[in-house]
Amino acid sequence: MKSPMIVFATTLLLAAGGVLAQGAAPPAAAPMPAAGPTDPQIAHIVVTANQVDIDAGKLAESKGGSKEVKDFGKQMVTDHSGVNKQAEALVTKLKVKPEDNPTSESLKKGGEENLKNLKGLNGAAFDKAYIDHEVAYHEQVLDAIDKVLVPNAKNEELKGLIVKVRPAFVAHLDHAKMIQSKLAKAG
Amino acid sequence: MKTPARVAGQLTAAAVYAAVWLFLASGGIAPALAAQAATHTVVIDGLKYEPETVKVKRGDTVVWINKDPFPHTVTSKGAFDSHEIAAGKSWKYTPRKAGEYAYICTLHSNMKGTLKVE
Repeated sequence: MKSPMIVFATTLLLAAGGVLAQGAAPPAAAPMPAAGPTDPQIAHIVVTANQVDIDAGKLAESKGGSKEVKDFGKQMVTDHSGVNKQAEALVTKLKVKPEDNPTSESLKKGGEENLKNLKGLNGAAFDKAYIDHEVAYHEQVLDAIDKVLVPNAKNEELKGLIVKVRPAFVAHLDHAKMIQSKLAKAG
Repeated sequence: MKTPARVAGQLTAAAVYAAVWLFLASGGIAPALAAQAATHTVVIDGLKYEPETVKVKRGDTVVWINKDPFPHTVTSKGAFDSHEIAAGKSWKYTPRKAGEYAYICTLHSNMKGTLKVE
């Protein structure tokens, strides 16, 4: 279950590593390192990251074993849909065409594997698996925001949108962790 | 022909009018009305209440405007609760009791604000 997240993390680290290498390498000697994501790629990562959590949230809203998990799923759908609506309005305004890339590809793949896994679970087992994944997912996305997306975003409005919604990811992570510890006590 | 008494009467009437005008213009009523109904605005943007602390008088109205793309709440346990304020919507509250009210967003626990009522 953790493997998609690891793939995602590795992809991000590679992207971040590329940026670091770029900064550190002497200009003439080293071969051209991989650059960080471009704005069209960042836009695609943002939209994909939100969509993945919307899809998982929808499943939790209908399949969640407890009211708390259902409500959390519902809030994820509402909040991440709101962010995506704003992100889509911004890319339309900026005339940026979101561009598929390895990071959003691994996010999407991770999301699909998570859904597949969750669909086979019920009740308390579903709640635990969903919430565990939400904790890991929000941690990874926050890491990506701080190390890859914000440092590489060139357009100020795109960067501004990411910076502005960051606290929502922090709130979601805290909320998911709180439910996680409650579930652990109950189980 | 105006008699002196008639002229004096007109002058008195004019003085009364002038006094009334002066009272209305600079006197008690206008400032009293203004002091009665102040409205304060708190903007919710980027998961922050701006200003974080708002100081008001009893009977004033406070309006919270949600500029984020998802809902928030303005909740002070036992005192007031907006419930969900949708994206782009606002919520009004008129405090009647003095005190200091800490409030949060029940959906995003990292959001905190204070309403001070004198």
